[in-house]
Amino acid sequence: MEEAITLQELFKIIKKRFVLIITILVLSMTVAGAVSYYYLTPIFQASTQVLINQKEFDQNQFNSQDIETNLQLINTYNVIIKSPVILSKVIDNLNLKTTADLLHKQITVTSEQNSQVVNVSVEDPDLQKAIDIANMTVKVFQEEINLLMNVDNVNILSLAVITKDTKPIKPNLILNIGIAAIIGLIIGIGITFLLEYLDTSVKTEQDIGELLGLPILGLVSPISNKYLKKTKEPKSHNRNGA
Amino acid sequence: MGHKFLFKRRKKIKPLARKLVTSSNPQSIISEQFRTVRTNIKFSMPNRELKTLLFTSSSIGEGKSTIAANVAIAFAQEGKKVLLIDADLRKPTMHYTFLKTITPGLTNLLTSYWNLNQVVKESGINGLDLITSGPIPSNPAELLELTSMDMLITEVKEKYDLIIFDAPPVLSVSDAQVLASKCDGTILVISSGSTEKVNVIKAKEVLQASYANILGTILNNYKIGKNHYYYQYYG
Repeated sequence: MEEAITLQELFKIIKKRFVLIITILVLSMTVAGAVSYYYLTPIFQASTQVLINQKEFDQNQFNSQDIETNLQLINTYNVIIKSPVILSKVIDNLNLKTTADLLHKQITVTSEQNSQVVNVSVEDPDLQKAIDIANMTVKVFQEEINLLMNVDNVNILSLAVITKDTKPIKPNLILNIGIAAIIGLIIGIGITFLLEYLDTSVKTEQDIGELLGLPILGLVSPISNKYLKKTKEPKSHNRNGA
Repeated sequence: MGHKFLFKRRKKIKPLARKLVTSSNPQSIISEQFRTVRTNIKFSMPNRELKTLLFTSSSIGEGKSTIAANVAIAFAQEGKKVLLIDADLRKPTMHYTFLKTITPGLTNLLTSYWNLNQVVKESGINGLDLITSGPIPSNPAELLELTSMDMLITEVKEKYDLIIFDAPPVLSVSDAQVLASKCDGTILVISSGSTEKVNVIKAKEVLQASYANILGTILNNYKIGKNHYYYQYYG
């Protein structure tokens, strides 16, 4: 019974269980939506920006060599910001009940390619706390870098502030529902084909022809109740006639 | 009393109307399908006498009794004298379909001294008579194998143009095999979407092993697709 499935048959199979596929799709989307809306703790993000630049007042012109050096420094700084030296001080200053390790996971440091600006983002269920941590981190970093590297080239470009329309970045409702929709669709189609594969019953005239090689004397549709209603009138006519 | 009687009758008429579409609603698509079946049966054996016809299926619940009854009606509507025999002595249904008493019936004919005239019942449809199963015996297969069965077939062949047997499923019991070897033609009823492919193949082998003349199959419960527009058009 190994037979190639044509595209038409594929569509027919999907069409037949269309309701099932849609049901699974809607169900998974609803579950994903409900879970992200009601059960997942919203996570807020606060970002600060730091500019890494050598302060050399005597030199008025920008030197491309300097910029190059700064860029290379940034990679080092990125690591330093998230080092326990900085983070343990942040925890001390803010009296946080966390460890440097856990805090490390909340902080993301990014810098654009060939840019001297470094972004420090902090994620936390509490927006105020996220802002505090972000701001404290860059402050501590600015102080510490003086001691560590004996340079004074870190300027805080912008601090994290509370804004009215700050929305949690996680959970991303639309993204979650979108992912659920794709997964639901895959599961639905998967089940459809599984059912089709497991269903070894005779379905069409072609099946009989291939299996038995016997002629088909006729097709009989399911006798549904709709014929019951139609039957009443001609029946009474017959009775009157007879 | 009268009310009770009326109520009871109405309740029973419903399944009758549903099952015997060919008589209750001759204009319907399904009746047209049965007329097609009738034509195809006639054309399936153009040069051999076709007087006894057996309906069976691979397993239970595929609609053989309903189809046998409707095909019988279709032939009767054509003007033939048709006899429908409920040869399913294990789970007879014909008496329900036509609202008749189960006895006297086929088993009475085969085992005791009843004669055909006492047992044949009028179906209520012009040209169609029927024989119900009679009391359910303990050894149906042996009963059907008796010489009295052969005698009965010879007898009814003289009186009727067409005799249709409703038999039990092939795969569960041997009754259908016994009958199929005695009949001119056997029709295998297949229910679309529920009959297992393995079972139909086995059913065909079993029937061929008993020298049945398989005329063909009828695909029951087949949902008409858009490509079958002509049924809609003419029906």
